[in-house]
Amino acid sequence: RMEASCLELALEGERLCKAGDCRAGVSFFEAAVQVGTEDLKTLSAIYSQLGNAYFYLHEYAKALEYHHHDLTLARTIGDLLGEAKASGNLGNTLKVLGNFEEAIVCCQRHLDISRELNDKVGEARALYNLGNVYHSKGKHVASAGTHEPGELPDDVRNALQKAANYYEENLTIVTELGDRAAQGRAFGNLGNTHYLLGNFRSAVLAHEQRLLIAKEFGDRSAERRAYSNLGNAYIFLGEFETASEYYKRTLQLARQLKDRAVEAQACYSLGNTYTLLQDYEKAIDYHLKHLVIAQELNDKIGEGRACWSLGNAYTALGNHDQAIHFAERHLEISREVGDRSGELTARLNLSDLQMVLGLSYSTNNSMMSESHVVDNSLNGTRPRAGRRYSMENMELMKLTPEKVQNWN
Amino acid sequence: SQPLSGRQAAELQSKVVPSKQILHSDNMEMEPETMETKSVTDYFSKLHMGSLVYSCTSKRKNK
Repeated sequence: RMEASCLELALEGERLCKAGDCRAGVSFFEAAVQVGTEDLKTLSAIYSQLGNAYFYLHEYAKALEYHHHDLTLARTIGDLLGEAKASGNLGNTLKVLGNFEEAIVCCQRHLDISRELNDKVGEARALYNLGNVYHSKGKHVASAGTHEPGELPDDVRNALQKAANYYEENLTIVTELGDRAAQGRAFGNLGNTHYLLGNFRSAVLAHEQRLLIAKEFGDRSAERRAYSNLGNAYIFLGEFETASEYYKRTLQLARQLKDRAVEAQACYSLGNTYTLLQDYEKAIDYHLKHLVIAQELNDKIGEGRACWSLGNAYTALGNHDQAIHFAERHLEISREVGDRSGELTARLNLSDLQMVLGLSYSTNNSMMSESHVVDNSLNGTRPRAGRRYSMENMELMKLTPEKVQNWN
Repeated sequence: SQPLSGRQAAELQSKVVPSKQILHSDNMEMEPETMETKSVTDYFSKLHMGSLVYSCTSKRKNK
């Protein structure tokens, strides 16, 4: 009676998770664990599904706990395939938690067992997971580093190159297996890895494949991702017109899919692209659209970025009143969110604008007075020369892969 | 507002828009993770215990 009850609860948990209601599914699985069972393989399946449900709910500490239970259990009962699966899931979870070294060990175990069992599907999946871990590791190390532009640190490059190799290996197998969905995923992440490595042409080729497969499946989210990634790659190829076309497709799909955050991102990308094209009216148009959504979503960081971009674009058009308005707003928001470098940038922008407008620095406005101090501290011969680059310089700048890495 | 000096305005305009930060938030869009799945039903069907699962499932449905 108890056995049946545990199983019933677990089956209901499975049904709910499959229907997309992981939260309710978790309750049933946890109830099933409470009731308990002597059948360790059933318990292993319950732990595994609990781990995955928590993973999808972004509760990674819980996911880690249950995948760990599952792994221990699978080893105890000598279920090799079960151990492989648990290792893979544990690896993915450790990756999200930033524990890359342990994640690699787990994913490698998944790979080794899959090869031992001659399980091609498992092998391919393990390779994809390993690619993902190395990609995340590379990105993480790059963002934490304080390296100079023009130098992609060796550890970052090595990790990204390994990621690319694993994706390529995965692609060989899933192509043999004729698994188009898996090919799509691998192409997408391979493209992103090439992008970080600065191989923009290769990135475009991979994302074009991803796009093709997304269309085959009618998968509009994947299609949108591909457009966005293609836009990013074309920016760094200096082909801004092409980039703007892809960002427009991204925007179109974001609107169809009713994803406001993604819509905002697309508007922001378009604003930046039109800035690069020196079409400041259009840039302002998109940055304003981005601003509205950022405010709607209460995204302060996005709002600050929008104000900063708008300040620059209005400056370019010589609309100094609007430029000052947005520079002030940028300063306010930077303070609010504790963005020190944003705050400094905003102050410098304001002091520049005030100088051009011939305003006195000693106003009653405390914000202005403070910017006076900053300006004095930087006083001397054109202290701002190296601070900002013109768009002309931007276009001429040799966009080496290393620089790109540093910018992210 | 006060008249602008042409030179100053030109200077300001030429400094417009930082380069590095402009692309700062170009979001890279990653593909989803794939998780390995286990199922209690898989296990039972493998053990040829489909009838048990069937009885459990139908019992549940009848509730």
